[in-house]
Amino acid sequence: MPSEPLLELICPAGSLPALKAAVDHGADGVYLGFKDNTNARNFSGLNFDEAAIRQGVEYAHAKGRKVLLALNTYPQPGEVARWQRAVDRAADICMDAVILADPGLMAYAARTHPDLRLHLSVQGSATSYEAIEFYRERFGIQRAVLPRVLSLAQVEAVAANTEVELELFGFGGLCVMVEGRCLLSSYATGDSPNTCGVCSPAHAVRWQQTPKGMETRLNGVLIDRYADDEKAGYPTLCKGRFEVQGETYYALEEPTSLNTLEMLPEMARLGIAAIKIEGRQRSPAYVAQVTQVWRAAIDAVKRAPESFAVAPAWHGQLDKVSEGSMHTLGAYYRPWK
Amino acid sequence: MKLSLGPLLYYWSREDILAFYEAAAGWPVDSVYLGETVCSRRHTLRLPDWFDLADRLAAAGKEVVLSSQALIESESDLKALRKIARNEKYLVEANDFGAVRLLAEQGVPFVAGPTLNAYNPDTLALLRDLGAVRWVPPVEMPAKMLQAMPVPEGMETEFFAYGRLPLAFSARCFTARHYNLQKDDCQFKCLDHPDGLTLRTREGEAFLTMNGIQTQSARVYSLAHRLDELAEAGVGRLRLSPQSQRMAQVVTVFRELIEGRLPPAEAPARLARLMPGEPCDGYWLGQAGLDYQPERAAFGRSGVPAANVRGQEAAPTPR
Amino acid sequence: MQLPAIPRPLARVVGALPAFPASLAFSAAGNLAAWPALRGLDWGEVRGRRFCVHVRDLGLKLYFSVGRKGFVPEVASSADVTFTATTEDFVRLGLRLEDPDTLFFNRRLLIEGDTDLGLRVKNMLDGVEFEELTRRLPAGLGQVVTGLRQRAQMQA
Repeated sequence: MPSEPLLELICPAGSLPALKAAVDHGADGVYLGFKDNTNARNFSGLNFDEAAIRQGVEYAHAKGRKVLLALNTYPQPGEVARWQRAVDRAADICMDAVILADPGLMAYAARTHPDLRLHLSVQGSATSYEAIEFYRERFGIQRAVLPRVLSLAQVEAVAANTEVELELFGFGGLCVMVEGRCLLSSYATGDSPNTCGVCSPAHAVRWQQTPKGMETRLNGVLIDRYADDEKAGYPTLCKGRFEVQGETYYALEEPTSLNTLEMLPEMARLGIAAIKIEGRQRSPAYVAQVTQVWRAAIDAVKRAPESFAVAPAWHGQLDKVSEGSMHTLGAYYRPWK
Repeated sequence: MKLSLGPLLYYWSREDILAFYEAAAGWPVDSVYLGETVCSRRHTLRLPDWFDLADRLAAAGKEVVLSSQALIESESDLKALRKIARNEKYLVEANDFGAVRLLAEQGVPFVAGPTLNAYNPDTLALLRDLGAVRWVPPVEMPAKMLQAMPVPEGMETEFFAYGRLPLAFSARCFTARHYNLQKDDCQFKCLDHPDGLTLRTREGEAFLTMNGIQTQSARVYSLAHRLDELAEAGVGRLRLSPQSQRMAQVVTVFRELIEGRLPPAEAPARLARLMPGEPCDGYWLGQAGLDYQPERAAFGRSGVPAANVRGQEAAPTPR
Repeated sequence: MQLPAIPRPLARVVGALPAFPASLAFSAAGNLAAWPALRGLDWGEVRGRRFCVHVRDLGLKLYFSVGRKGFVPEVASSADVTFTATTEDFVRLGLRLEDPDTLFFNRRLLIEGDTDLGLRVKNMLDGVEFEELTRRLPAGLGQVVTGLRQRAQMQA
């Protein structure tokens, strides 16, 4: 019987070089998606075709690492079979797990491939142990990725009441909204993460240098305007500057990244099974830099949780690649809310 | 076609909430959804108060449905959820799979709410098997997707047809943030904004509405002019989302519509005077939610793509 | 990694050059150096679209498209998508030392025009392994490039 996983490092890959960078720099697992809207990073030119996935799985497995397939969008009428075939392919390629959000698809996977390990995607929006237990009882999920909305004390209560492994986001782009329940992107552009696998899709994004500064527009809607010396963020609605009652500011969230390095000892104490790094849309250079830092940090916390301290160099390296070059603890730290 | 009054998404004073439902008891709606679905800090009405209201509305002949909170975070949220799920009188709208679990355990019928993300026939059939007798599709669902959805026998489709669109939930309270307050000490600022706080782009376009931890559209989704299409897509019940002013007149417009006393083409003009913002209907057309193309057919038979009137700001509606 | 700054007089001279010969030279160099490693990519959606690489510090704009046989110089003053950065940052991107998003956040990289096209190309190039690129470079050049990258990584 293998022992319970603890703080596995799960890293993103949008391409084969990114997967290799993750494996080479110490990821325990890599997650990726096919080249279509069956996953929530459905960007042009990104992701894996069948051949690349097979190569990636071979590369990772040869080094004893896992590969997880994200199938975390919601199938739609007339197209359900495409998502089901994706599950079949995952089983055929010997993926270590599939990450699903849709209950109907989970039922299919559990019925058709009883040996295939199921993870509940963050897009499934399960924030309580009652919800997680629903997916465990019905479909036998073995791990749940929690939305970035709970404080650490709330995470602890969830962990205490379910045997399902928990995976937490550790670093990367920060969704302020409950994942799977955010329609801001489709309100502005017609494409949503749930159905199209994109948030603020590139086809709707326009950046333009103007006399007033660099403007970011989403389907014509002005999301932000940056002066020359200001750091920029992703063109997502929740990171834009808006006017509310005469005051113009980042009304929802600043362009910033989640970074929970300092919470690693707590996460270890809670028995968190895995830490997820966001960023399948990022380049191999980012994957290498971030994986390297997190590998060192997780090794340090496992070696000596009491004396764990965040090395200043880690923050420096991570902030360098962060949105807005800033980081936050997000909802894990209660006052953020 | 039936009408339902959706759950109140805003935070009002106790007097205002009671007065609103007192009036609603006399409105021509078939169902009333009750309960706090957005934020557990809101407490001008406690759970027993909602149950009292439920009894009063039921006595007035309304079908009452208790809506569960969409974002469950804490143990106390779960306690409230269990009380709602285990009430033995009223139908419950499950807005989270934790609620579905509790309801299915008891084997009671329930309404599958819009945040359950039922986007396909398999998930819908699963919900039916678990006890759902009615479902509310995600608010972004286009007419064509809805029409392609085989709805199981014995299940009714209720569609969000009027109101500011609930678009997102967060752990963070944006209203508190606006006042530089922490959520745990929010001073209940939502009370000052009975229809939410408008968020505008830096070019002055009313874009979103902040309602505590919920983000809504600034525009008001209205499918009143699309009654035939709604029926064609299999919708049996229209959800009208509460607003603080002139809700009675909104209900009247829809009632006249479904009884054939008001031609659908005349609905937009009638509603324009009653809405707290500009209209939109893009989601129904499979486009950006904020688009408004009242002339365009969802099922593409009339085939004349009308101009998108988004951006042509009409005169502000009087309050 | 510090790359030497471009001397101002040189920048002035380069900036004053007509765009087409520069685009021609750039495309020819690209075809010689990079195309063998890139030809296998799925260029379907990209063919016929016009790109502009705007090297800010040199004041140089290079226009090209991608055809069946490689990069094609374009006589143009507009493009479907324009990438703007300094020589050093373009080199760092080319050597895979820098992540484009990071440069974007820091305002060192600007993508104007068809964002989807820009990101598609970025993602396609990310999908090519660096070793694959250098292996196909003309003899000698590959070693120089690999050496440059390793030196920069050691300095980081």
